[in-house]
Amino acid sequence: MADKPFSVDLGRLKSREKDRSAAAVERVDRTGEELGFVDRDPVKRRGRKPSPRTGQVHAKVLPHVAEEIAAEARRRGVQQGVVLEEAWALYKSLESTAD
Amino acid sequence: MPTVVIASPKGGAGKSTAAIILGTELAHAGAAVTLLDCDPNRSLSLWASRGPLPSRITVLSDVGEGEIVRTIKRHDMDGQIVIVDLEGVASRLVSRAISQADLVITPMRATTLDATVGVRALQLIREEEEALDRRIPHAVVFTMTRAVRSRQHSGIETSLRDQSVDLIEPPLMERTAFSALFEFGGDLRSMPAQGNMAAAIGNAEDFARAVYARLTAEDA
Repeated sequence: MADKPFSVDLGRLKSREKDRSAAAVERVDRTGEELGFVDRDPVKRRGRKPSPRTGQVHAKVLPHVAEEIAAEARRRGVQQGVVLEEAWALYKSLESTAD
Repeated sequence: MPTVVIASPKGGAGKSTAAIILGTELAHAGAAVTLLDCDPNRSLSLWASRGPLPSRITVLSDVGEGEIVRTIKRHDMDGQIVIVDLEGVASRLVSRAISQADLVITPMRATTLDATVGVRALQLIREEEEALDRRIPHAVVFTMTRAVRSRQHSGIETSLRDQSVDLIEPPLMERTAFSALFEFGGDLRSMPAQGNMAAAIGNAEDFARAVYARLTAEDA
């Protein structure tokens, strides 16, 4: 170890001008690929991401509620949307009663 | 301020250890240092989580190939040294980071395998210099070396010197204190004593001085 304590003179540290244009990056990518330095980023999953709340892609309700709606729709022989529409109509009527 | 890229396509060559030693020593000497953790193994982030960060050090994690160029640009400012720790594979992230470097350091254990794989980084630098029409200063540092130099080490060193490769002296020796950085975080001065601390600090400081000399050289 040298006797004098190591200290950095910030004024002496220089950064060189670098080409950061898209064309330069493309040239660098091509150069790297020729030597086997290829894209190794994990492949991103395409499409809509699962809802953080329900863990499902399309459902808007929790799984056990979805099952109950599906069972009720099956029992009545209607589409699930019909059950939801009726539930919404009921909600609206309750809301107007509360007003 | 300069960007130092630590690159080798060989895993386990000592890249993260070299990055932390360099960053903490430069920070100790008065520089503000931003460490970019571009390794999916998140070694730098692990170190940063182990203890309080030393003064003047910032760590940014999970920098991928899509962000590397603009992240370096954002932090490449007055009064700041950027150190980029890369993953130990041949990837596009590595080639993009090298394109933004003021100095590339390739850590290399003194083994034939490390030298053979590490030389691929040197080839890439030469090709990029041609593609970008600018000189990219680069150097090799031997890591995990022993007090008694092996014949293999001497042979590899001679071969690299014959190819005009810049070798950083001193090498980073195999020291308990260096590996303990990932256990305690912080720097060599803040951790509990691990082996010969004075020798470890001396080795780290001399390595940082040697890098600083390259960063401040007239033709750098």
